[in-house]
Parts: sequence; structure tokens; C-alpha cells
Amino acid sequence: MLLPILLSFLISEAPAETAPPVKLVISADAVYSADGNLLEGGTVAIAGGKIAAVVPGGDGGEGALHVAAITPGLIDLSPRIHTGDYSVEEASEVRPGDLAAGSLDLFDKRWERLLESGVTTVMVGPAYENVIGGLSSVIKTGGKKRIEARTIAEGNALIGAFGGQAARGNSPVFGRPTTFFARRPTTRMGTEWAHRKAFYDTLAAMRDEERQFEGWEAMASVIEGERPFFVQAGATQDIRTACYLKEEFGLPSMVLDGAAEATREPEILKRAGAAVVLPPHAAQGRTAVDNAFMPWNTADELLELGVPVALSAHGSASANANLGMQAGYAMRGGLELDEALRAVTLTPAELAGVADRVGTIEVGKDADLVLWSGTPFAATSRVIGVVLDGEVVFSAK
Amino acid sequence: MRLTKTQLILSGAFCASLFAAPADALSDKLVIEAGHIILHDAEDIEDGVIVVENGRIAAIGKADEVELPWDAVVVGGPDYTAAPGFVEALTSRGMDRANENLDVVPFLNVRDSIDPVNFYFEDAKRWGITTINVQQGTNTVVSGNGRIVKPTGVTVEEMTVRPNYGYMIAIDPKSGKSRATQRQALRNAFGDLRRELEDLVGTKRDEADTARREALAQGRDQDDQKSPGRAMTGSGWTVEGLELVDRSEIDEKLRPLLSMVEGRAYTFIYCGAPMDVQPAIDFARDNGLAERATLVLDDSCWKAADAIKASGMSVILDSDLMHVETDPVTEEETETFVPKVFADKGIPFALQSANSSTNSLWFQAAVCVANGMTRDQALAAVTTSPAMIIGLEKEVGKLAPGMAANVLLLSGDPLDITTKVHKAIIDGAVIYDHTQDTRNRHLLEGEAPRGATAAETEEVEEPSKTDDDADDEETGDEPAEGESGDEPGDEPGDEHQEHEEK
Repeated sequence: MLLPILLSFLISEAPAETAPPVKLVISADAVYSADGNLLEGGTVAIAGGKIAAVVPGGDGGEGALHVAAITPGLIDLSPRIHTGDYSVEEASEVRPGDLAAGSLDLFDKRWERLLESGVTTVMVGPAYENVIGGLSSVIKTGGKKRIEARTIAEGNALIGAFGGQAARGNSPVFGRPTTFFARRPTTRMGTEWAHRKAFYDTLAAMRDEERQFEGWEAMASVIEGERPFFVQAGATQDIRTACYLKEEFGLPSMVLDGAAEATREPEILKRAGAAVVLPPHAAQGRTAVDNAFMPWNTADELLELGVPVALSAHGSASANANLGMQAGYAMRGGLELDEALRAVTLTPAELAGVADRVGTIEVGKDADLVLWSGTPFAATSRVIGVVLDGEVVFSAK
Repeated sequence: MRLTKTQLILSGAFCASLFAAPADALSDKLVIEAGHIILHDAEDIEDGVIVVENGRIAAIGKADEVELPWDAVVVGGPDYTAAPGFVEALTSRGMDRANENLDVVPFLNVRDSIDPVNFYFEDAKRWGITTINVQQGTNTVVSGNGRIVKPTGVTVEEMTVRPNYGYMIAIDPKSGKSRATQRQALRNAFGDLRRELEDLVGTKRDEADTARREALAQGRDQDDQKSPGRAMTGSGWTVEGLELVDRSEIDEKLRPLLSMVEGRAYTFIYCGAPMDVQPAIDFARDNGLAERATLVLDDSCWKAADAIKASGMSVILDSDLMHVETDPVTEEETETFVPKVFADKGIPFALQSANSSTNSLWFQAAVCVANGMTRDQALAAVTTSPAMIIGLEKEVGKLAPGMAANVLLLSGDPLDITTKVHKAIIDGAVIYDHTQDTRNRHLLEGEAPRGATAAETEEVEEPSKTDDDADDEETGDEPAEGESGDEPGDEPGDEHQEHEEK
């Protein structure tokens, strides 16, 4: 009871009439704010769904919730929770105008599991079955079961894919000419060709109204740097191709998703200035993205190169593969705790363009918190509570 | 002939991997130094040493209190933590095929199926598993004979810790069977044994009777009536008069079953659902197996924990530690952390690794701590408890004088995610050295394995910033100005195709 009074005093610096009342106070032995600050013994106060105060002093007082550690809610840019076969429009390989978020099933149990594993924000886009699949959105994993209520950034990035996945399942026209499904590309080369043609056509559309096509504005916005081009590229040659494409068309911002082999050709990656989202660590190194090999020190090496790195669990909420464990595995590969934390909070928030809302524990940001039983990401710790927009949405027994 | 440096390194690494650090193996004495030694039943030792002689731990204690043999090889150092090697209570990995087609095959032996160069054994070393109970898979009625091995050696014999050890019996139906036929098959197996033994005894009695009458009729003393066999023992059922039968006369396919009924063989009884548990306990008790039987449980079987507690049997848990049950109507999920149920009820249990890498035994133990068990409980479930379950509690599972010298030298705490096995020692021989583990360095440090060349990244061609090769059949236009206007430092367009050939 003492602390809320203290805290209300603290936040009374803000105009008193507009400040909402402190609703929740949580203290911890350690507050990891993910912006480089670690508060050993700290308290977070929440008001109006936002973080109202972060202050030293971790005893919390009587009646206050006290845990071992608090981190920001985790952010996964590649959760890969799609609606299945129908999440990609098959009429064309290039569907830049499609918005994927509308096709999500928010009643899917996996959202709840994801939330309970500590992931509070995700970026959702179409599956990587198309060369250019459409636009992604950034959404919260909990809250009202309406996509509008959960969305914090709509159409934040354009989604594309290099490599095998976009070419898979297609068959060339000369095989069965009558089938509706006969279409390109069927190879890596074809995928790259489709990318380059799409951007070429966009350049043409940008100068000539006659040549505009459905969704060209979305493509143009990538060329103009209004949104990042977020592409899957796992194998070395796909990463190289993506980097060359970025340079060729002067795309200001590109994020390589599933870039398992990102450290194979570091000079190209660095010169192109692309950021990286890594796939989940695999026991023998072979990832699900085109079977590309990812050594466990990849995140560490990329940070050393100065490449922004986010981690992903591809939507897994299981004890040995969730996003928290991915951070732990990256630590096994050499990352420090604060670097690992940043790779699942602030960095993905920045890459998705939502760092003003989520990603750190700072006054004014959304009150998305993960409460831990011990040191975050340790195998001996687990998520014991999750706060989303100031509400306790999960607490373990 | 001059050897190149590479050849020397290669041959050295080859020897090291094949013969597991020959220098250490040749000496019968080894001193293991560690900044921290983990004991189970006593306070951990800081700055300690473990003295190994003839493959066993001779002494253990603080560095300044233990007398060190002058001629011992010394490994370790103050930066390392020494811990007992992990014990895998049960696995079917490392076998060529885990399951035999036939139902009742106790006359088969996993010896013929264990592959010493299977990747599982290599991984076991890497993750500190030093004792492994290999049994046939659970898709069986009565399995072939199992074996306890260590993950080192180039032949099964070299690997063997205990030969001809244990059988898997499944209450859960084998694929293609219903629970009813599975249990009938199991009853038949032991019923056949009983009938066969009774027939043998009956025949012997008849023969003896004839011989006695013959002797009586001929007016001579009967020949010395010494029983060729020994009486049947067993807590379940016995056949009276089995001492009349020479054991070698019993069908060799049935003899393993007899050893189970007489309580001489270890058995692992697999329950695939809570409903299997009580029948498994009854089956074990009725046939005299209970004393040496361990229940192998599916994760749902925690629901039958009270029946298990009452039976006094120990259990081996499924590698899936969190049991999730979905309500069929509301779809609400209820999670139960299985090991805690058994820990709270005081039922002895061991954990299995789900796979040899990320879900290895250390990880399973760490997950136990994350879910509210004590560190001691968690560590015991992968060391002392499995050792007890496989009957090797005086041999492996903890560090104490007289025990086999199965010691891990770790870079840190065994349950820490960043900890690596620096050296693994089995029976006093260093069988794993992190610095020699090329595969692991490839995985963890991205170091290219021998023979592979690093990707050529020194000379990178600047790709063209123009895009006029996009003008294929569909777009025949010349690119307009402004397309490449955003980028600085345009290159001449004739270089643009080079990157595609790389």
C-alpha cells in the first residue's frame, strides 16, 4: 500500500488531471528494461495500459506482486501462424497489395500459447509461398478477439520470399497446359526473376500511369523507403541474391527473415546494410528454412559485424523451443544476456517500426511485461506471468 | 617421408577420436582438479580433487586434504565444475531398428542391433551421458534382451557395462493390436511357459515312476535319485517339482521368461495410458516380476500416481515433461508438470532425454527446476535415481570413493544453458574432449569442418545498380532515367550480370 502512494507521487509530475490512476504495481529482484539498463531491485507501475513509472527499490511493499525478474514482452517477427493453405493468394506470384492480417484466426489456440510463453507482439504476414506475398501487420498476441483491436501497425512491411519455398509446388506450363495451377517460378532463378520484374514494373508504374498494376503503390513505398522489404532468404545464395536486389533497386530498408547462413558472406551482408531475423536454433544446425545451416554463434557474429539481429521461434511455445529459449540458445552461442534480450525485444520492435510502442520498459510505452521465476532465458527459469496492455493475462499456478 | 603439418594434425585428431586420449588411458591413475565438485549426499566441494585409480574413484576431497599420487595424469583446473556423468535410464536409440516384428522375443538380444558408431552415442558423450540402458522399443509384447552400455568403444563388447540386461514388456498395445489382444498375448506368453514347465515336470514324474516300478519289479535298489535341476523360486507363481528337470531341457525361447518369473531379470513395463498402470502392476505382481520391474510411463500416466505409490514400484518418465490435456468442449488446456507429481508423492523416478542434443538430460533436469522442483531432486532424476533403477547405484550416478570414475568436467553449472562439457571421463579414461570435437565446433562456433573450404568472401563484385536485364520478353522497354537515381556510385551497366554467375 505504501508504494502506490509513493508512485502516485512520482507520476504526479505529469499533469494531474490527465494522468490515469496507477492500476498495477510489480516489483522484481531485477528489471531488465532492454534499453541497456538493468535495475537490480526495481518496481514498475502501470497506469492506463502504459508504463507509468520505473523506480529503484524492489521490495514492492505489502500486497504488491513480486517476482524474480521482469523483461519487456517478447517480440517475434516471424511467428508463422498462418491460416493454412488459404493464407496465400494463388492467382499470381506477386500480390503486393494483399493485407494478410485480415485472414488470421484469432481463436487459434496457438496465440494463447504464444502469449503464455512471453511473446506479446508479433508481425504477421502472408506465408512465404508467393514471391511477393503482400503486406504484414504488427499485432498483439492477446486482448480482444478482433484484429483491429490487436493491431498496432497495419501494413508495416512488404513481404517477399527468395529460395525454395516460393518456387515449391509450382509446375511449368508445358507439363499440364490445361491446369490452373501451372505457373512460375519453379526454381530459385525464377523466383529472383519474378522479384526483379516486379520492381522493374514498379519503376515503370511510378513514372507512367498507364503501366500501374494492382498493388504497385505497396511496391513503390518500399522503393521510396516508407516501409521495409521483409524477405525470407535462408541459404547463402538467397541472402546474396536478396542483398544484390536491395542494391540494384536501391531499397533503403531490407530485413532478411530466416537468414540462417547470414554469416557466410559477411561483406555482402554488411555492404548491403540488411538486418536479419534468425530462424530457431536446430539441434544439428539444419534449420527449417531451405535446410540452411545455422551455427549457434550466428547471432553473436552478426552483432560483431554490426548487423541488427532479431531472433524468432517460428511460433513455437514449447519449453525447449520458445522465443525465450531461442535467446538462451543464442547465449550458448556467445551472446550476453542483454544482447539476447535486445534481440527478442527492442531490435525486432525497431525492425517492425513499432519501437515507439513496445520493446522496452520505459515510461509511456505499452505495459507489456514478462514476469520470470528466475534469470530470463535460463533453462531453470520459466515465464510465470505476462502483462499485456497493463492487464495480467497469464499467471502460472 | 615428410608429413605436412595438416597431415600430422589430422592423424593426431584421428587417433584421439578413435582411442580416446591414449595418454590418459594408459595411465591407471588420474587426478581430476575442479574449482567445484558436485556431490549429491553432501556439501559440494570447493577447490577439490578426485583421485582415480584403475578406473574407480579412489579419493575425493579438498585439494589440500587429499594425497595425490605422484605419477598420475592431471586434468581439469580451478575453472571447471566436476559432476557425475548423467545416466540415461532407458533408450532405444543407438539401435539399428528399435522394434522386432514378432510379439514375444526374449531370446533376441539388442547386442546384435547396437551400432557403436551411431550418432546418438557421439552426441551422448558431448552432452555428458556416460551410462545408457539400451532396450528394445515399446512396440512389442515381450522384447529382446537389453544391455547397459557406455557411449565409447568401437565394438558392442567394448561399450558394454552390463550384458544381457533387462527386457521391455508392453501393456500398451503394439501397433495393429487392441488392448485386449495385447494383454491376451502377454497372458499367453507366460501361460505357455507355465504349461510347458508343468508338462516337463509331468513327464519327468512319469519317467521316475516307471523307473521306480521297474527297479521294484526287478528287486534292485533304485538308482541314486538326485534331482538334476533346482526348484523354481518366484513370488508370483511356481511349478512344483521343477527340480526334476534339468534347466537345459527347457526350451531356450522360454528360459528368459522363467528368469523373469523367478525374479532374476530386470523388466521395464510400458504403460501408454493411465488405464494401463494398474494392469501393469497386477501383471508384474502375479508373475513375480514386481521386485525388479520398473514402470515406463507415458506423460498422461501421472493420473495413476496413487496406484504406483501403493505398488512401491519406481518409474521412468516420458521425455515430454509437461502433460497437456485439452477439454473436448471448452478446448481449455490444463498443464501438469509430470515429474513434480512423482516427486511430491515420493515415488522414485528417472527422466529420459527427448533427443540427445537440445533436450538432453541436463536440459530435462533444468526444466524440472524451472517448474518448481528443487535442484537436488532434478539432478537426482538424471543421476542417482536412474542408477538405482538399473541396479547400478553402487557403480554410477554419483562421485564417491569406490564408484566408477564417470566424471564430467564442465565449464560451469550443469543446469546452465551456456555450460559445455569440457571433458568427459568414463572409467577413468578421458573419452571426450571439447577441443577435439570438430562437429560441435562447427555447430556452436561455425567453424568449418575439416575438408570444407570457407566461403570465398574476400573479393566481392559490386553489382550493377542498373536493371536493364529485366527487359526480357515481357518488358521490352528501355529503363527510364530515375530508376537507378536513388543509389550513389553507379557502376557501368556491363558488369551487372556478374553477380548472377557467382
